[in-house]
Amino acid sequence: MSKKIENQEIVAPETLIEQEVAVEQPNEAEVNPALAGPQTIESEQAAADFDVARVQKKEKTIRIIRNIFVYFFLTLCALLAFLPFYMMVIMSLKTEWEYRSITTTFFPKTFMWKNYSVVLASADDGGNTFVQILINTLVVGLLSTAMGVVVTILTAYALARLNFKGKNIIFAIMLATMMIPGEMFTIGNYQLVSKWGWGNSYTVLILPFLVSVYYIYLLRNNFMQIPHSLYQAAKVDGLSDMGYLIKVMVPLTAPTLTSITLLKFIGTWNSYIWPRLVNREESWQMITNWVTGGFTDSKGILYNGAIGATESLTTLRMAAVCMVSLPLLILFLTCRKYIMRGVSKSGTKG
Amino acid sequence: MAKNPQDVSVELEQTTEEPTRKVRTPKFRNRNGKQVEADLVLNNGPQLSTGEKIKRFIKSQNGWMFMAPALILMILFSFYPIITAFINAFKNDLDMNGVYNGWGFDNFVHVFRGDTGMAGANFWQCLVNTLVFTLVSVPLSTLLALLISVALNSIKALQKAYQTILFLPYLTNSLAMGAVFATFFSVIRTGSGTNWGIINSLLGTQIDWMGLGNTWALGAINIPWAKYIVLIIYEVWTGLPFKILILFSALQSINKQYYDAAKVDGASRSTILWKITAPMISPQISYLLVTGIMGGMKQYTAVVGLFGANMGVAYDMGTMVGYIYRYVEGGTPKYGYAYAASLILFFIIMIITFINNKVTKRHTTYK
Repeated sequence: MSKKIENQEIVAPETLIEQEVAVEQPNEAEVNPALAGPQTIESEQAAADFDVARVQKKEKTIRIIRNIFVYFFLTLCALLAFLPFYMMVIMSLKTEWEYRSITTTFFPKTFMWKNYSVVLASADDGGNTFVQILINTLVVGLLSTAMGVVVTILTAYALARLNFKGKNIIFAIMLATMMIPGEMFTIGNYQLVSKWGWGNSYTVLILPFLVSVYYIYLLRNNFMQIPHSLYQAAKVDGLSDMGYLIKVMVPLTAPTLTSITLLKFIGTWNSYIWPRLVNREESWQMITNWVTGGFTDSKGILYNGAIGATESLTTLRMAAVCMVSLPLLILFLTCRKYIMRGVSKSGTKG
Repeated sequence: MAKNPQDVSVELEQTTEEPTRKVRTPKFRNRNGKQVEADLVLNNGPQLSTGEKIKRFIKSQNGWMFMAPALILMILFSFYPIITAFINAFKNDLDMNGVYNGWGFDNFVHVFRGDTGMAGANFWQCLVNTLVFTLVSVPLSTLLALLISVALNSIKALQKAYQTILFLPYLTNSLAMGAVFATFFSVIRTGSGTNWGIINSLLGTQIDWMGLGNTWALGAINIPWAKYIVLIIYEVWTGLPFKILILFSALQSINKQYYDAAKVDGASRSTILWKITAPMISPQISYLLVTGIMGGMKQYTAVVGLFGANMGVAYDMGTMVGYIYRYVEGGTPKYGYAYAASLILFFIIMIITFINNKVTKRHTTYK
């Protein structure tokens, strides 16, 4: 291959040589950048060949060393990224005594599966807390995701495809609200819903967060990439705006919609401040609020009263943390592609 | 190429701004600008009656119908709260029942005086904390993310696997993982001695990381910035995945010819990194820095996850948002102070946005 280039060099004008090198180079350079030099030298072919072999060998050693270093660095980072998850699971399976012993163990001596059953059965005065809170989270999560996606689709469609007076002004105002920190909304909303007496309900958890301007913006841009001729064709075929939206636009933007749906659900799953503010009663709160509570062995199931009934147990809390985190991890591993694409586009958690 | 087909069609045929209503619009002309005969037949052109015109206008405004749900919700839950925030911030000592002492700047005065009062949070302490957390953790995690992305970009085998594992911390619940991190740093006193925690045993130190005071654990070293270090480590851990994702995909989209040209010229690895790679992805880096700083200014849940709802001992780890929420709930809520503080936060974020607009216009020319 190197020979071929040389032959061309003799006849070709200088600009062409440069082009040739640029085109041919990628494969060559990846194998051995040193080759780039000797190519043009014709008379010192033998010496160059010798040099090439030596340099090649040297380059190879350097590359191996560099690869070892790169893999070592990445493995270290991956381990550090993964360690908290590992320890979370391990700690949730230890006995409280093992957790409190002088040396930290990285694998439980005895598996304390009972931690999970105690946490699952943990009850306040009203009944079983965990089941109630899981139901809350799922109901609110599913409803607000479904309704939020519908609102997002409708709005994005109007902004992308329909012409009506004042569209640009409305869109500009909507985008401007993205600059305002969410805390400003939160206080006002809190004051509003407490004035209306909306506390302790699902409505108050769902309604204020249905509209997320960024997802509307994202979907609008996606809608605008669909050729307008499709719309005209659909119109000729007698399809209404709504029909076109459902039958053409939505299927074509399914990947973006999937990302938005997943991110919205994750966002609801992780919501903490708003439920804590508006739903003071524990039975109306969400799963993240539940995790921050204290977990005690109040009935003495685990340690027969050897640990005080009001003392918060770290191992139990870790079991709760696992139960909150594992669904997210499973969701991520199954829908990795959509989540990563959605995140790289939007940069939000929901 | 045609990202927005609508624009293209407008360029080609000047009068088809609304291709959908082509047949109906009286403006309809052919490419030479002459009125087409069929137009008049189909359309009745200028002879439309006023009633018909109104009917058509209403029909052409059906976009509002699609916008209605979002608009109603936004008016209630976005526009209204914003307006009330700007009004209520000037109602002196506004409390949770809507009672206030006339109008003025008392709320701001209270906030700026740094009164801890009954709520226990000091505004200046919270502001300094927020700035320190943000200005240390954001550049640190961006730099680390850059190194990891470059390393990730240079390998072939197992690239996807590493990418997946490195992204895992993103999806976590920051309160839940905060509790896990807290156990790494916490010191446990047991009946027979003291468990110094994973981090201390790795470092061989006896540092009281969580700042619980050195009286209860014998021999604990109390360093004043320990809690900040814990929080920054946690912030870097949670902040890395997103930054790696963005930078890695930016790296992959760089044209390989630049590297080949550099290799032909004999550029060294570090020269390539700092003279080609870094400038090429400078838009992404500045994007990450700006969004990171904005996110950092609104930090709240990570601190609560690590140090509890009181944000350390009496809000010594408090943040701006923590300060706001302290006055929204808690013993004696003072909405006036919360509104004032949220306006201050709003202006800080506006300033950052403004600086960002100025800086990015000048520096990031590679797109």
